[in-house]
This record gives sequence, C-alpha cells and structure tokens, in this order.
Amino acid sequence: MLSIIIEYILNAVFSAIPAVGFAMVFNVPKESLLKCAYGGAIGYCSRQMFMDFGFSIELATFFASSIVGMVALYWSRKYIVPRPVYTIASIIPLLPGNPAFSAIINLINMNAHGVSPELISMFIDNALRTIIVLGGIGFGLALPSLYYIRYNRPIV
Amino acid sequence: MNEKKEKLTYEEQTKITRTIIKAAVLMLEYGAESRLIETVAQRLGKALNVDSVEVSLIPSAIVLTTLNDKQTQSVTTTRRAHHKPINMSIVCDVLKMCYKVEKEKLSVDFAIKAMKEIKPNYYNNWLKIFMVALSCACFAYLNEADWQAFATTFVASGIAMFVRQELSRKKFVQIITFGVTAFVATIIAALSQIYNLTATPNTALSASVLLLAPGFPFVNSVLDAVKGYLAMGWGRWMQAVLLTAATSIGIVFALTVLNIQGW
Repeated sequence: MLSIIIEYILNAVFSAIPAVGFAMVFNVPKESLLKCAYGGAIGYCSRQMFMDFGFSIELATFFASSIVGMVALYWSRKYIVPRPVYTIASIIPLLPGNPAFSAIINLINMNAHGVSPELISMFIDNALRTIIVLGGIGFGLALPSLYYIRYNRPIV
Repeated sequence: MNEKKEKLTYEEQTKITRTIIKAAVLMLEYGAESRLIETVAQRLGKALNVDSVEVSLIPSAIVLTTLNDKQTQSVTTTRRAHHKPINMSIVCDVLKMCYKVEKEKLSVDFAIKAMKEIKPNYYNNWLKIFMVALSCACFAYLNEADWQAFATTFVASGIAMFVRQELSRKKFVQIITFGVTAFVATIIAALSQIYNLTATPNTALSASVLLLAPGFPFVNSVLDAVKGYLAMGWGRWMQAVLLTAATSIGIVFALTVLNIQGW
C-alpha cells in the first residue's frame, strides 16, 4: 500500500514539472503557473488511477482529460482566465510520445528494409494508439465546456 | 442609453470597430479559440454601445462588422492575422480589458490605451531552457526510462530548446524552426544509443523531441470544430499536422545522417 502511495506522489511531482515547463513556453501569466502544476498532477494521476482500475489507456486518457477540463472550467470561471491556459499545460504529460515516435521509426524501417507484414501491423498499432489517445485528449477537454453552450452565454 | 446610441456618429463607430477588431486580431494571433474571440468581440461591442457585432473568422484573417442605429449604419473592416508564437498572457490581458470595460462601463479610449499597454510577460530565456529540459526529462521518467536516459534527455532537449529560441529570435518560419530543432534533439539523443549510454534509448529519443509537440493548435482545433467553427478547426489542424510533419522530417533526417536503422 505504502509503495503505491509513494509511486503516486512521485508521479504527481514528475508530471507537475512538465506542466509548468510547457506553461512557461506558452507564456502563461505568472499567477497561473501553480495551477498548471496541479492540473498536470491531477491529469496524470487520474489517468494512472483509471488504468489501475483496468481501463484501457485510451479510455483512461479520455476520462483524465475530462477531469482536467472540469477542474480548468472551475478555475477559469473563478479567476477569469481562458481555459486553454490551464488545460494545455496540464495535458502535456498525457501525450502519447512513445507510440508516435515508434510509428515514425516503423515508417522509416518500411522505407529502408521493404514492407513486411510485421512492420505494417506494428505501424498500424502505434499510429492508431497515437491517434485515438490524441482524440481522447481533445474530446475530453472539449466536453465540459460544451455543457455551457446550451445557455448560450460565455464561460469566462 | 438609447439617445446616446443614436448620437454615435460614423467616425465614432469606425473608431469602436477598429478597437474591437484590434482586440480580436490580438487574440487570434496569439492563439485563443474561436468562440472566445467571437464572444469577446460581441461583449466589447455591447459595452461600447453598438447594436450588434458580427464576426467572420478564417485562420488567416478576421472580417468584423458593427451595426448601429437600428442596424442601418454599419462599418465593416478586415484585418490580416499573422501567426505568432503562442502567448497566453496577451490573450489573458485582452480578456481582462474586455471584462473591465464591461464591468465599469469605460469608454473606447480606455480600451485603446489598455491594448497599447499590453506587454507580454516573458520569462527569462535560461529559466525556460532549464524548465523545458527538466520537463522533457520528467516525461522520459514517466515513460519508464532509466537515469542515464533521463540525463540524456535533459541535455538533448536543453540544447534543442536553446536552438529553438535562437531560431525564433531570428524570425525564421515556425516550420523551419521545428525541423531544425527536432534534428538537433534527435542527433544528441541518438548519440547515447550509439555509445550505449542507456538501456532505453527509444524513450530518450521520443522524450527529447517532446518540446515540439503542437499542443495548442491541436487542442484549439478540436475545441473550434466541436463548437461549430469547422473552417477554423481545419485550419488549425492543418497547422498542427504541418508542424508535426516538420518535426518528423527533422527526426528522419537525423537518424539517416547517423545511419541508425531502428531497433
């Protein structure tokens, strides 16, 4: 039990740092940096939790990014800041870096050594995972704000 | 209120229109989503006493019309939007200005002055390099890299971020910047594989180009598309794809130069 808690805390710390780093690249206002860090930790830890419950990575990413979207919605109404300030930094740790990179490598290999069924299946595997995880992130972030459109009034 | 509206002359309405489109162009250039741009333009228009504001957005320009005097007097104007590096502090400042004008019923002169005074909140360049390098290294850690890969990623993405900043300071097109940065990052990260520094070179390689992930165009494209701004969604999606393609070309070129044939 203790080891699980320590693992979660470590992951929270290591996912908060990328959120802050990328928030700086996008030049967010100084006072929202801390919230970006919380957002990154919430996003990554909730995805890990869903995956521990046995969800697939795609579904877990979708739920995690909807949670980030809801939290960011609350913050943006409270502090009058557009939501992408919080959300985009927070989802950076969720990005499917490894599958995307492997897909590119598979493409290079197919070009260099000729196309083989194993390479094609590996490429499709990785590319599909990348695309579906990215779609999950996008739709997860968009859903909470769609809820407010029916009133036809601005969120912030 | 109504009398005040009727007194609005053509010149005054032109001034208001120019102010509103200035705000909208600032938000589009620095990466706000379409719905935010449209609602801010309409709220500013309402606060500055015109009847209605109609906005038409395409990825590279804005057309904006203000209608007044029972919709008989209209001013239309177009501005080109040049894509600039994402800068959220400017978007936040424009939104705060709109909020203030709305709440305190301020005049158009205040809005013009406030927009002139907007200064981007730049972080120190070396701090940014350090933080981005650490971010990519943490991303490698989250993807189960060992500590050697962690260090490799830190060095590779730090140098890559330096290159990226230098290139964007010299005003290169974003596509070239991304391609060259990916090339540099991959070369340095791949050296660790050639000299067998780490057991997980794959993770080091993929994490060190993470700083080029086009998060903003991608998320904005989904947000725009699901809210009904399909053309904007496509435009931004294309932008994200182009940047990703530039990054991939950089990676492929670097791996070809070093003659690494996958793993």
